[in-house]
Amino acid sequence: MFLTRRIFLRNGALAVVGTAALPSFLARAAYGAADPGTRTKRLVVIFQRGAADGLNIVVPHGEASYYAMRPTISIPKKSVLDLDGFFGLHPSMSSFEPLWKQKHLAIVHAAGSPDPTRSHFDAQDFMESGTPGIKATDDGWLNRTLRELPAGVSPASAADPSAFRAIALGPSLPRILSGKEPAVALNNLNDFSIGGKNPKAVPISNTFEAMYANSVDTVMHGTGQETFDAVKMLRTADPAKYTPAANANYPKGRFGDSLRQLAQLIKANLGVQVAFADIGGWDHHVNEGSTQGQIANVLGDFSQSIAAFWTDLGDLGEDTVVVTMSEFGRTARENGNRGTDHGHANVMFVLGGPVSGGKVYGRWPGLDQSQLYEGRDLAVTTDFRRVLSEVVSEYLGNKDVKSVFPGFEGGSYLRLLG
Amino acid sequence: MRRILMAIPVRRTVAATAAIVVVIVAGLAATQLAIGKKLAIGKRKERPVSGMDQQKRAAHALNRLTFGPRPGDLERVAQVGVDKWIELQLHPEKIDDSALDARLAPFRTLRMDTRAIVENFPNNQIIKQVAEGKAAMPTDPALHAVYEAQVEKYEDKRDRKATAQNGGTGPNTIADRDLVLDSGAASMHADAAYERRREESQARNINVRELLDLPPDERYREILKLSPQEQHVIAARARGPKRELMAGMNAEQRETVLALNNPEQVVVDELLQAKLLRAIYSDRQLEEVMTDFWFNHFNIFINKGADRFLLTSYERDAIRPHALGKFEDLLASTAKSPAMLFYLDNWLSVGPHSEVATGPPPQSRERPRRGRQIPKRRPPNSKAKAKPKQASGLNENYGRELMELHTLSVSGGYSQQDVTEVAKVFTGWTIERPNAGGGFKFEPKMHEQGDKTVLGHRIKQKGEKEGLEVLHLLARNPQTAHFICQKLATRFVSDDPPPALVDRMSHTFLKKNGDIREVLRTMFKSPEFWTPETYRAKVKTPFEFIVSAVRATGAQVTDARQLVGTLGNMGMPLYGMMPPTGYSMRAETWVNSSALLARMNFALGLASGKVRGVSIDAAQLAPGTPDAEQALAQMEATLLGGDISRQTHDTIAKQLEDPKITQRQLDDPKRPPNVGAIAGLILGSPEFQKR
Repeated sequence: MFLTRRIFLRNGALAVVGTAALPSFLARAAYGAADPGTRTKRLVVIFQRGAADGLNIVVPHGEASYYAMRPTISIPKKSVLDLDGFFGLHPSMSSFEPLWKQKHLAIVHAAGSPDPTRSHFDAQDFMESGTPGIKATDDGWLNRTLRELPAGVSPASAADPSAFRAIALGPSLPRILSGKEPAVALNNLNDFSIGGKNPKAVPISNTFEAMYANSVDTVMHGTGQETFDAVKMLRTADPAKYTPAANANYPKGRFGDSLRQLAQLIKANLGVQVAFADIGGWDHHVNEGSTQGQIANVLGDFSQSIAAFWTDLGDLGEDTVVVTMSEFGRTARENGNRGTDHGHANVMFVLGGPVSGGKVYGRWPGLDQSQLYEGRDLAVTTDFRRVLSEVVSEYLGNKDVKSVFPGFEGGSYLRLLG
Repeated sequence: MRRILMAIPVRRTVAATAAIVVVIVAGLAATQLAIGKKLAIGKRKERPVSGMDQQKRAAHALNRLTFGPRPGDLERVAQVGVDKWIELQLHPEKIDDSALDARLAPFRTLRMDTRAIVENFPNNQIIKQVAEGKAAMPTDPALHAVYEAQVEKYEDKRDRKATAQNGGTGPNTIADRDLVLDSGAASMHADAAYERRREESQARNINVRELLDLPPDERYREILKLSPQEQHVIAARARGPKRELMAGMNAEQRETVLALNNPEQVVVDELLQAKLLRAIYSDRQLEEVMTDFWFNHFNIFINKGADRFLLTSYERDAIRPHALGKFEDLLASTAKSPAMLFYLDNWLSVGPHSEVATGPPPQSRERPRRGRQIPKRRPPNSKAKAKPKQASGLNENYGRELMELHTLSVSGGYSQQDVTEVAKVFTGWTIERPNAGGGFKFEPKMHEQGDKTVLGHRIKQKGEKEGLEVLHLLARNPQTAHFICQKLATRFVSDDPPPALVDRMSHTFLKKNGDIREVLRTMFKSPEFWTPETYRAKVKTPFEFIVSAVRATGAQVTDARQLVGTLGNMGMPLYGMMPPTGYSMRAETWVNSSALLARMNFALGLASGKVRGVSIDAAQLAPGTPDAEQALAQMEATLLGGDISRQTHDTIAKQLEDPKITQRQLDDPKRPPNVGAIAGLILGSPEFQKR
């Protein structure tokens, strides 16, 4: 038999997952008994797919060369929402301003991968596997993060990890969450069942469950198990009843929907420990726009969705850290089509209760010709794994960072967390 | 073929020291016992593990070369002989496909060139020109109605925008910001008002009942006579469940009514539906599989501007004719296609030392030609010269993806310098008036002067021919051969194909100058293709799953739009992959909780006749049997060729006791079983997810 990566991984998983008969009551115990006050520390990772233009997101308005290199698409100084006299936010991100002022929002600039690739696909793959330059890595770093998490992080009374411990919002399970630990992909809460809410569909649902539980196909078996555990939990917990908080205004669209549903799962106390959502539409080779236009639109969607999510979580935000990333940045100069081509370093946002925000972290490499990476791109001064490993280790409490980011010789943390 | 079946129920225990109970039930063989009997194909004997018996060969060939067997296919292939059938599939021109052609006949845009598509189904730019008096309103009554409806819509939108902007506070920075944030809300508000007005006018003026009572021709003429706003209402209704409005109309009339609402959407709808209908009904299945494969390889996202109306020609003229032909021809036709030039921005790429960038030579200082589609570019003799940085108009997008995704692969040994040089080579490969549906054109004024060096080869300056030379270079490169063959073997053989097989295929690729048919033949004749390990080992993509389910049930599709929508929910919208990478063909991408539930729900919906536009004759799947057990056995044979595990069979058999399936009532014990429910369970089973 040709073992696919996933089959191989699932074989491992088979040793710890159970049959269909057991988990229903166990699972119920997992969340039913969990007291609503249980504090679950959780990490939400957001991926901006397509290489966001970090220089037009957190704008180095104190750099003369920024304006020289971008005659038509730079963000004018007067439009930038100033942060610290040197950097400022793109004007369509005003919903981030209060988060910054409350010191919940930190920024890491000139962050990125040490790998030089300018391929979207490879760069995303490396950021999700957590091993830049190494393609043979089978699983994602967010999945590996779960492996050594201290027990206290699961809902208190659960002997069993929740089916929603690791969740990706979207129709497929991304690379970052694939691996030995069970993880669920959820596209739409309302569709996450067999036959909808019709109670008559329950026997059919059970038949499918038994079919997959009994399957000798390890991939189908493992995924079926995760799926039906989650379906049963949802049936009882009914997260749909948790409507967004009054002033949480999610923009229309896929990304806003993802975060809105994630907030529902969190508020339903389903034991979410790590979650993933992504937002596309950043690859602006042509007519990127400046204060308005393509980048302004997608940034509005991005920042308003995250701000709404933060508002929606309320007190639960105290136990939440959100990290954003994108595969690489874009050329420091605009190209001939008022756009930008594939570059190198980028900006990361870190938002959350325990975050020491209101500060731009990382060493700024500068934008003079001699300071540019390969003469064209913002240089990377902070390895993205340095940011992530601090969150994984110092916040989530997985001290085995070497397993989560094998081969990474981290160095000191940025001390993003208070 | 006997199966050794294993059940390994392992349960988590509450304690951390999990007691792992492993029960191996070995030798629980012969699941397919009674089930396979109906197939009447050869005897299933024990065979050495090195090969497959005839029936399995037929099933395997169908699973891999087609989008899944239809009822009766297995017998037909076995009868013709597997090898002979494969050879026939490699020559689609010898296969009659008139039944499919008849199904596609109503979709007129499939046969139009791009210019005709744009004229008949105008995009926003065309409408804008007409609205601003820069282009003439057509005189043909049907076209006139379509244009007028769009112009009305355009003007309405423009007015609403103006209203929303007047609500702003002025041109300072803060207001700019508010504008960005508030415009959504403002336009939402305006949208609601617009909808209300539409509904009012509907209530006032249109008596739909009366319209419906008219004969089709008259009804059509009456619709054309309505005001543009009323037409919107009518057309919006026609798109929904109220399709009877178009009942009896001919194809052109139907398209016109739909175009009143949104002309571009007609083009997209037809392309999307055709993709499904071809996959489901074409008898040239291998050609369809390969067309799908190459489209995905040279992927283009349909929602990027002009690609909404460029993809019809792209698939028809650039991909399909070369699907089994020469790779270099395929590469060149995609490189020159307006769809690709637009998608990867090459049409805008300007050489930094080209005439456009540096200004014309002194003796020929002429005005830039009208209709040039390089947006907002300054005339050559203006300030552009003073700002040399901006004049560097190279766009690397195509150059990079050409090497990374279309030919060499990311590990194919090219550098950033090569990307830049290739980008220079392709400067001037542009589109003649893209919004008007123009074709490829080489524009010398945009082309970068001088020689270039690509992968160590000197490319002498010779205009358009430089690009062809680079394509030739790339198409013959061993890295390209390996990358393409690896990908083909991943589609046809396994997620991790044996390297020896890929090497042999690459050898054929290089020896036969990239002859795709020959490469496929090498693969289909290889022992690796036929090892038992490959049998039903590939997980279906959502597209393959949906198409195979419709094919297996022999369903009739009269409207494929709901199928199109389901694919979107499953994460595989047709022509909807935004990045140029295309969709993954590997299991791990498509096996996850969300996808599995979507598949099971679709299976149940399809089998119980709840997918709109798709009708299924459930009785035909298990004809004339009052017995649920027997019906199950029959459908296991029809839908899965009997390849069902004992576990799945037993699980469904147990469910047969459910009154919902037996449909048994006290006074009527002999009603036939609910065949649809059983079929749904089979189509949603783990076995049906693989091919």
